Amino acid sequence: MANEITITIDGKEFQTQEGEFILNAARANDIFIPAICYLTRCSPTLACRICLVEADGKQVYACNAKTKSGMNITTTTENIEKERRAIMEVYDVNHPLQCGVCDQSGECELQNYTLELGVDSQSYTIADVDRSSVDWGHIHYDPGLCIVCERCVTACKDMIGDNSLKTVPRGAGAIDGSFKESMPKDAYAMWNKLNKSVIGLTSGEEMLDCTSCGECAAVCPVGALVDTDYIYTSNAWEHKQVPATCGHCSAGCQISYDTKHTSIDNPEEKIYRVSNEWNYVSLCGAGRYGYDYQNSDVTKDETAFAAALDAFKKADTINFTSTITNEEALILQRLKDKFGYRLVNKDAQDFKTFLRDYSVVSRSSIYGSDLEKVHNTDFVVSVGTALKSDNPNARYAFNNAVQMKGAGLYFHPVADPVVDGMSKNVVSINHAPLQEEAVLYLILDLFANKDLLPKKVVDYLAGFHSEKTVTVTETIKEKVVTQVTKKVVNKETGEEEEVTSDVTKMVPKKVSKEVEVDENRLLEIVGAPAKFEETLLKLLKKKETFSLIVGPDLYTHPSSQNIARLVALIEKYSAFELVMIPTLTNTLGVGLICDLDDEAGEYAVGYNTQGDFVLSGLGDGDLDMPAINQQEGTLTSINKRVNPTNVAVGYGGYVLNDIANALGLKAEYTIDYTEQLPTSRGFKTRKFDDLPNHYTNAGEEVRGYLLGKMPVRMKKDEHVTPIDEDQALDGTLVYLANPVRQFTPFTNKAHQLIAEGGLYMSESALSASELEAGDVVSVKTEAGEVSVKVISDNKIDGEIAYLPTFDANINSEALFGGYRFATASIQKV
Amino acid sequence: MDTAYLIETVIKIVILLLVFSALAGFGTYFERKVLAFMQRRLGPMHVGPYSLLQIAADGVKLFTKEDIVPQNVVGPIFKIAPVITAATAFMAAAAIPFMPSFTIFGYEVHPIISDINVGILYILGVMAIGLYGPLLGGMASANKWSLISAARAASVFISYEVVSGLSLLAPIMMVGSLSLIDFNNYQAAGVGSWMIWSQPVAFVLFVIAAFAETGRTPFHLIANDHEIIDGFGTEYSGMRWGLFFIGEYANMFFISFVIALIFLGGFGDGSVGGALALLGKVSFIFFFFLWTRAAWPDVRPDQLMWLCWKVLMPIAVVNIVITGIVMMF
Amino acid sequence: MSFEKFKDRNVGEDGYYMVDIEDYPETGWGKFKQVASRSLKGELFVGLWVVLREMFKFDIHTVQYPKEKLPIGPRYRAVHKMLRLFESGTERCIGCGLCEKICISDCIRMDTKYDENSRKEVTEYSINLGRCIFCGYCAEVCPELAIVHGGRYENASEQRAHFVEFEDMLTPIDALKAGQQEEFPGFGAIIPGSDKSVKKTPLAY
Ligand code: SF4
Ligand code: SF4
Ligand code: SF4
Ligand code: SF4
Ligand code: SF4
Ligand code: FES
Repeated sequence: MANEITITIDGKEFQTQEGEFILNAARANDIFIPAICYLTRCSPTLACRICLVEADGKQVYACNAKTKSGMNITTTTENIEKERRAIMEVYDVNHPLQCGVCDQSGECELQNYTLELGVDSQSYTIADVDRSSVDWGHIHYDPGLCIVCERCVTACKDMIGDNSLKTVPRGAGAIDGSFKESMPKDAYAMWNKLNKSVIGLTSGEEMLDCTSCGECAAVCPVGALVDTDYIYTSNAWEHKQVPATCGHCSAGCQISYDTKHTSIDNPEEKIYRVSNEWNYVSLCGAGRYGYDYQNSDVTKDETAFAAALDAFKKADTINFTSTITNEEALILQRLKDKFGYRLVNKDAQDFKTFLRDYSVVSRSSIYGSDLEKVHNTDFVVSVGTALKSDNPNARYAFNNAVQMKGAGLYFHPVADPVVDGMSKNVVSINHAPLQEEAVLYLILDLFANKDLLPKKVVDYLAGFHSEKTVTVTETIKEKVVTQVTKKVVNKETGEEEEVTSDVTKMVPKKVSKEVEVDENRLLEIVGAPAKFEETLLKLLKKKETFSLIVGPDLYTHPSSQNIARLVALIEKYSAFELVMIPTLTNTLGVGLICDLDDEAGEYAVGYNTQGDFVLSGLGDGDLDMPAINQQEGTLTSINKRVNPTNVAVGYGGYVLNDIANALGLKAEYTIDYTEQLPTSRGFKTRKFDDLPNHYTNAGEEVRGYLLGKMPVRMKKDEHVTPIDEDQALDGTLVYLANPVRQFTPFTNKAHQLIAEGGLYMSESALSASELEAGDVVSVKTEAGEVSVKVISDNKIDGEIAYLPTFDANINSEALFGGYRFATASIQKV
Repeated sequence: MDTAYLIETVIKIVILLLVFSALAGFGTYFERKVLAFMQRRLGPMHVGPYSLLQIAADGVKLFTKEDIVPQNVVGPIFKIAPVITAATAFMAAAAIPFMPSFTIFGYEVHPIISDINVGILYILGVMAIGLYGPLLGGMASANKWSLISAARAASVFISYEVVSGLSLLAPIMMVGSLSLIDFNNYQAAGVGSWMIWSQPVAFVLFVIAAFAETGRTPFHLIANDHEIIDGFGTEYSGMRWGLFFIGEYANMFFISFVIALIFLGGFGDGSVGGALALLGKVSFIFFFFLWTRAAWPDVRPDQLMWLCWKVLMPIAVVNIVITGIVMMF
Repeated sequence: MSFEKFKDRNVGEDGYYMVDIEDYPETGWGKFKQVASRSLKGELFVGLWVVLREMFKFDIHTVQYPKEKLPIGPRYRAVHKMLRLFESGTERCIGCGLCEKICISDCIRMDTKYDENSRKEVTEYSINLGRCIFCGYCAEVCPELAIVHGGRYENASEQRAHFVEFEDMLTPIDALKAGQQEEFPGFGAIIPGSDKSVKKTPLAY
């Protein structure tokens, strides 16, 4: 990778990576350079220009200029000081004096830099225009406070991938001409740009219709973008910040629960908002707004507790979900060791099996990559996951990789306009359900090193290729050739100007040759768009690092064993690095800690799920349990990290550990189990209280610890089976997934997220059918039937509708026989 | 012993008790007012006109306050201590002739409960016993301030008691009797015959000792509020504390009588004028107690001891010797 | 540079003089002499005379509180008041929370919300007078001169926690109309003439 180089900042020498931005290099070494518009991990916008520094005698923008070996950087000179002060004065022009009520006050970068640069008087002036605040739904925008740093736009585009915000004309008059002479140059240029724009919605609508992550409000340096729910409820400095790990999905984002007493009359802690280190971690709407899912007003119900003990004595099975901590999982495992309970947890079991099958080929106990790496790769492929709802952070990583001059392929049966809208450099392929094996074979075919790949597989792949093809394709072949040569040239010059002309010579030759001779039937099977191969060639230009994201569709696939092996082959014999998305919050942790059973016995205790006696953090069971925001413990994330989380709000009832103690285990606190997590499965003997949970200035994640890799004892077996091309699901299909911002009944408890689930249909599917949103339909599959409302969802496209799992009133799982797709009949009732 | 004598004595005792208990109350009121005026204040103003009913209010308060016996005190001793102080004060009064004798309904009344022939000795002795009140109360209270106060009581006591005894010796030598009635009669000839003229040194010494005995400023040491809170009284409340209080004030009155009788001519010839003169003298001495409190600072216990043993006692001895020599020739 | 003028602490030239302090006697004889001289010189009687004189002069200085009360200075810091704007009569408090933050005894609490007029509204506000130390920081920090100290210093209460709420402190609207609200000159108020030292921000209109 990049080379280690030495640079000098203000006379001191530092090591950094070649090509790192000066700003990041300085920050990593605790050197302060003022910067407003730059967001780490996103592309520099050069909106604020305050990050001016002098590098080798030349003024450059620190957020945009890359370090070179031996570079000599001065963070401030007389001229830079002048520019910076002028820039801050410009930001203060017509800025309302309303810090007193502003929600950003106390953590406002405008306040901070105004003070830091000692702006105590104003030299510039311009007539203001009407900039009244607008309500965008869950976000509130006050253009009067906006300093048009475009951080919100950048975050939404480069990180989130929604592209919902853009700059729109402000309609202000021209800046007084005399300032051009009297003002420092950069400040004037910056003002000129600032004065022309405010922020608006890309859609042109009144209300935001995005995936509602709230990241734009989080990154806004001033009080211009605020979460509507939070406005004027508290001052930032009143909050106690509880460092935690989000408990909703397997991304395990680092969050801070910002709490304060509820009101004058009620001293109980209440969560007012969730904040994050937005430079290093981006939250989704569930993490951001789904914070108050605690099981509140619980007291120690001794009768229920006694009943629980009886139930445990009677039970032979414990049903549970993966929305529990590692420690709780260990308690369950200990109970199993002691009393021989069967532990039944479908999602963890599937994932565990998949991982084991994967290990047989890969010789590694766990996938090799993580989302951090995905962020930095050039080419990302996602297979078998509804990316934006299964794991929003995987989606952000995918998008971020694509936006930062990368490209990606998205394989999924359900078309996703959000993914399609990310960039031209993403190709979505909506293959038929059950054809995931074909997708993986295609990836092997396209990317694997055929010299190393097992001979059998190579031969099998070769079988899909033919020189001579059917007549229909012949015509296409010709067309492709001519078009490609033209288009490539066009694009080269149009899109990437810095590319030199020698590339243009090389490419058309290669393409025309290959296309002429070869036809790949796998492309047809997966339903790749026309001219896919040429597009791919373009996308692959200058790509060096590759990531593969695979998701839950594969774990429940009827031939998941074969799929796991194919995935492992890809990781092993191609440049792809692999990440698997654990199905639920702690599916990975539970899978590693618990020895799971397939079948339930006669009498089951359910933990957050069905059973003859139910323990529930949702407050609807026979005995109350704390929700994750009321617990301390660790969660194992997709990044193979064991992350600590802390208590944000109080809980007055019994916890699982109390039951375990009453049954004969011994631990004062649940977190006493943290250091006992099984080292044989990759965990470490570390006390809960010793686990850190923060990011460094260099953006390094210092949270919990990484799982170790464990040796694989199973026999190596690289055998894979061929695809069954004929297997298909006929008729109307339904998919098991959640809308964005929903994962489990826990998210559905948060006051900002509460919703009624239903059958989510794309707008096109809805208009093609006789149904209308709001109709009650009965959805019937081989396995079962539910009756639900039809909901129109513009975040999906195509024919396939989906049923959610977050609504406890809809037992969607009962309709699916394991695999996430099913044939269904939908009848209006 | 005839019945009339018995009845008379009982009546006298009752009157004495009532009058002097009440006087203790008036004494405080008077003290508060005098001190206030001397310090440009008004003093109590709210209970009745000029707060005249303050005494009643204080009385009600003392009687109705919760009687607290703290946890670690030595119960019996703690309880008996205030009684000792009050009882000895009144017992001492038995030998004091408060008035000249007068006739009422043809019955001659001697306003003295018992004219014992060792009157002065008795008074000094019984008053000295009163010291056991603070001493025992202080030691039994399980309180550091009280304990310090008890220690002070003992150390101060052994100092001033020598002076009071020795200083009175010279006048006793001159009168040749220990009965206060005899003292009175010795000075009955008029102002010129007052003992204060023939024994000025003894007078000064006795007055100093009297201040120490009653614990008044400048020798307000045993219960010095600004050093040791209320000293032996710290743990007392309600009427128990009230008894200490009454004892102290009664003591002040009685000692005023003693001073007036021994040095200032008493009730003189026994006429009404003489009786009034005695009241006047007593009042002045009492006023003097208050007056000094407004004007003078307190000394330290060690200073008092030093004064008594090293200054006053030698002077008293010299005074006795000189008196003796003068009487020989 | 000489330190003379710093060392000379006789700031007011007249009326100050050094008191003669005798050395403390070391020996018994010395102490005796001191006692004798003090007693015989009649110093004790000077004291007696002074207090007696005052008694007869009867020059009494007592203020008979609570029947009589002394006037309170404008900078006195007693129970808080909340002022209104003179022109519009609206509450001055904007709910910025600075008083809540600065309060040294953490006795101010407030609840705010976004109201129908898109303004920050203080829904509840209370000061726990049992904890307030009347330091005046809240009045000093208040950017609106909304919270100020009043003259009500009688805080006797039957409870340890003893609160005042916003409404208790707020100038009643009829009192404002009757011109009874006065600008607060005390702690935290603007220093007279301070507008002279402020540089004006240029405005384009
Ligand atoms: S955005 Fe910042 S500077 Fe502007 S009013 Fe809010 S806190 Fe003050
Ligand atoms: S809304 Fe906030 S983040 Fe967006 S441009 Fe304005 S100031 Fe920057
Ligand atoms: S909430 Fe998220 S998706 Fe919506 S506009 Fe803001 S950053 Fe973009
Ligand atoms: S006066 Fe001081 S202690 Fe009292 S409320 Fe104000 S800041 Fe708090
Ligand atoms: S400081 Fe003033 S304006 Fe701010 S909340 Fe307190 S009283 Fe209101
Ligand atoms: S941070 Fe570099 S231009 Fe804004």
